[in-house]
Amino acid sequence: MPDESTLGHEIEIGGRVQGVGFRPFVYGLATELNLKGDVCNRLGTVRVRVVGDVNVLREFETRVIRDAPPLSRPSLLKVDALQNNGYAAFSIQDSDHSDEAKIFVPPDYFACSACLDEMHDPDNRRFRYPFINCTQCGPRYTLIKALPYDRVSTSMSEFPLCAQCHAEYSDPRDRRFHAEPIACPACGPQLRFVQGDEAAIVETQAALRAAVSVMQSGNILAVKGIGGYHLMCDARNPAAIQRLRNRKARPDKPLAVMMPLGDGDQLVHARQYVNLAPEQAKAIRSPARPIVLVGRKMHSRLAPNIAPGLDEIGVFLPYSPLHALLLGDFGGPLVATSGNVSGEPVLTDNAEAEARLYRIADAFLHHDRGIVRPADDPVLRQIGETIRPLRQGRGTAPLEIDLPCEQAEPVLCVGGQQKTTVTLSWGRRAVVSPHIGEMTSPRSQAVFERVANDLQSLYGVEAKRIICDAHPGYATTRWARQQPLPLESIWHHHAHASALVAELALPGRGLVFAWDGVGLGEDGSLWGGEALYGMPGQWRRVASFRTFTPPGGDRVAREPWRSAAALCWGDNRPVPFVREDLHIARNAWQKNLNCPATSAVGRLFDAAAAIILGIQTTSFEAQGPMLLEAACERAGSSMHLPLSDDGHGVLRTDWAPLLPLLHNAERSAARRAEDFHATMANTVLDQAVALRTLHAFDYVGLTGGVFQNHVLAEQVVARLEDSGFTVHLASLLPSNDAAISFGQAAEWAAQQCRKRAD
Amino acid sequence: MDDRISLAHGNGGRFMRELIDDVFAKSLEGLGLDTDVDAAAMSLSTDEYLLTTDGFTVQPLEFPGGNIGSLAVHGTTNDLAVAGAKPLYLTLNAFIEEGFEISVLQRIIESLATAARASDVKIIAGDTKVLRRGEGGGLYLATTGVGIRIPGVRPSMRLIEDTDRIIVSGPVGDHGTAVMLAREQFGLRGTLSSDAASVYDIASTLMQFDGLRFMRDPTRGGIASVANEIVRATGLGVRLHPNIPVRQEVQSVCDMLGYDPLYLACEGRLVAVIAAHQADDAVEQCRTVSGGQQSVICGRITSSATRVILETEIGGERFLEELEDDPLPRIC
Repeated sequence: MPDESTLGHEIEIGGRVQGVGFRPFVYGLATELNLKGDVCNRLGTVRVRVVGDVNVLREFETRVIRDAPPLSRPSLLKVDALQNNGYAAFSIQDSDHSDEAKIFVPPDYFACSACLDEMHDPDNRRFRYPFINCTQCGPRYTLIKALPYDRVSTSMSEFPLCAQCHAEYSDPRDRRFHAEPIACPACGPQLRFVQGDEAAIVETQAALRAAVSVMQSGNILAVKGIGGYHLMCDARNPAAIQRLRNRKARPDKPLAVMMPLGDGDQLVHARQYVNLAPEQAKAIRSPARPIVLVGRKMHSRLAPNIAPGLDEIGVFLPYSPLHALLLGDFGGPLVATSGNVSGEPVLTDNAEAEARLYRIADAFLHHDRGIVRPADDPVLRQIGETIRPLRQGRGTAPLEIDLPCEQAEPVLCVGGQQKTTVTLSWGRRAVVSPHIGEMTSPRSQAVFERVANDLQSLYGVEAKRIICDAHPGYATTRWARQQPLPLESIWHHHAHASALVAELALPGRGLVFAWDGVGLGEDGSLWGGEALYGMPGQWRRVASFRTFTPPGGDRVAREPWRSAAALCWGDNRPVPFVREDLHIARNAWQKNLNCPATSAVGRLFDAAAAIILGIQTTSFEAQGPMLLEAACERAGSSMHLPLSDDGHGVLRTDWAPLLPLLHNAERSAARRAEDFHATMANTVLDQAVALRTLHAFDYVGLTGGVFQNHVLAEQVVARLEDSGFTVHLASLLPSNDAAISFGQAAEWAAQQCRKRAD
Repeated sequence: MDDRISLAHGNGGRFMRELIDDVFAKSLEGLGLDTDVDAAAMSLSTDEYLLTTDGFTVQPLEFPGGNIGSLAVHGTTNDLAVAGAKPLYLTLNAFIEEGFEISVLQRIIESLATAARASDVKIIAGDTKVLRRGEGGGLYLATTGVGIRIPGVRPSMRLIEDTDRIIVSGPVGDHGTAVMLAREQFGLRGTLSSDAASVYDIASTLMQFDGLRFMRDPTRGGIASVANEIVRATGLGVRLHPNIPVRQEVQSVCDMLGYDPLYLACEGRLVAVIAAHQADDAVEQCRTVSGGQQSVICGRITSSATRVILETEIGGERFLEELEDDPLPRIC
């Protein structure tokens, strides 16, 4: 008979509890408290059966949540009484696949300091081993083939464990107990260096030496990392960077820089080159080891062509042991940009990387651990007080956000055309994939399909319906139309607004400014300067801009002169630049030939960049607006743009009075850029104030790629708050089109909830 | 005779007889048209002949490099040529709008006749109707063409196989660009003109190759649409190389207006699919033929993806999608 004071509990713990060393932690805690019982992984949850003194059980249940490993996010799902069936000790049981339960796919983790210490210890058997990891660090999302997360279901299954690794893996007291990607030089993945037709170097340390020497001599190295390949070169060598730019046909787009790990807070090297506010330093060191855009120091040794014309650069720290070794051996900052052909998802396969990158890279540093699916580096930027994502990827995705209301059935939301992500949503859960990329290329399409399928199989959820953008020409929409599932479409800017509201779980009614490049609107014009009133499931456009008609269809996005010309022609002003064949464009504009009407603020920023800075054509998205933002030195003075009802219940701001401001050659470019930003910020305020008298809303939301401009966003927030508005911006998801798939899930769920309630 | 077409030109009386005699019969003299009979006889020396029919509504009626008359001949005979036939006979229906200038009609029919002579086809039957003012775009033409099968040549999409090569006989997009500029009265002084021409000589050159699978003249929707048709019909994929010839003038107008020349019409080009081992020879031969000097191998059939993929200069790839009804910008 059990003792009177001895009780048994069966505890189910959910949340992020797999692949994070949770079971060894439970084992340690139970053993410490002298409890008996067992722990095992279920599909997505952990089940603990513990027997012991009633007070100790209570302590266990508190500490199992409070003291959980740093990467875990456990939540106590339920505690049931357990018939004490006489455990002799506490043990870890094999995974139990029988039950369906809440599954969380863990993201990839940066190399922890314990592993880095071992890697730098000459006496450790993993000294300088680039694939060292433990339960608290290493790749997860990018190598998982199926759940539950066990080694046999990862790309590490090809590497049978040596006796020593097996012993660590099997010992509940070891910090590598069930570290699924566990590896060592004897049994794990190795590096392989390839340069031209020379024989490959297959010894890991020799391969590392060769790789570092390639970069030291100013050449370009393709490096296989966690979520894909990087192209790397010396960040202090302008010629090497120029070569990379020429070969990648990427003349201007900023390149990210990986900084060597320093002592102390690890940022001592980074601080030689960039200014780091405390929040930025914290963000750089956050577990995802993201790229963070920070101010570059004047006169640093970084090559100026890393980010031409911009005062910010994206920096990050080595996040894998391989990167730590490369940066350490190289001893200086390295440009580390996605190894891809522009716009495509990062490459992951050794042979494909060589086939696609041979014109760009002088040499390749491969390894033989498979990358099951790509994950680009996440990118963050400080906007206002908060560091916000511009891109989610390795280490941050899949990103899970609960919806305010429940899906009637599982849906697959396929996003937009650019910066595409996929969201799988069922019940109140929405899981957002990492950044996939521009959907024009076959590789993007292949990765997109793979991710769409993988999310469903990993989470064991089969979509019953597809949600796409209303734009019929998006590659994602075309794909969706070919699937044998029912299809629904969501307006682009409704998705933007619902993404913001659902992420922040904002109650009540809102006024959401959705300012971006271009998305198809309800009236068939190209929206992008809209203010929407309402809540998910019932948005109504209440403010916008006077439309204009830049000539040239899709070319407008990369050629700001077209937007500038359309504004000038629309206001009977001369176009302030000379172009051959401009009369053809004007003719097309007069005849409305391939000149779709737009109210997009992104295009107004393009026009301003063209007129103020003379930027007629660009080589990457938002280049004009970014340079315009960088041209601002201080707060500008704003003017009021006229606002009037268009007769259909939409207040429209007229852009025409902007033109004299933009054209005023007596003022410097910086002053005009500042005034333009201030005036656009003021326009948000003017619209919000006017709308406050017409509609009752509880908050103002800001979303769309335009609000990634921190000069604009900060002024908008300040002006609105000064006038008593509550203002919200997203902080989990980027405000650009990466949020569209999640917004589609939120908007669709809200529409259905509303229908059920009616 | 009057300067302009009146409803009386269609009433079966004197006006109509004069119109037919003065404009059609005179211009088409020697092309086998007997205006006194109700039906024409054809001498067919083969047991298989091919029949095609086509309508022409191009605006403007006259454009640099041609007009609706020459276009009607080339359009119809090219359909026969790419099907593996030698064009022999045409019929011609003219729907003329009341008020149409007869001198313009004259010019158009003469150029139709010139094209027919150059293509060695007879116009053996015809009809005219006059449409009330406002009910037609000046002039519409409808044709039917008859040709004889070149023995042993049966090009068909069904013959297309993995690894076959794609040949284009010259620069693409000229006709579509020239007509668009003329229609919108852009008033360009440039050198842009339609490529409207017969492709029979090029087609017959290709017909000597037993590895010839399929031919098509890339008219509406351009070479991109032909490629998409191949994909839909065969379930195979098409990879197009970055070397598809496009004239500089065409490219720069397309750049300016935001169009893709691969989707614009040609009226004197031929796209052929041919077995890989004969592709080089075939291109060599095509280059010796008038109108085919700029022939190139511009793509291949693949079994990897049932899509049209365009390789870009920098080593990238993009899909060429089926043409949307009204393509809207997608890029932010």
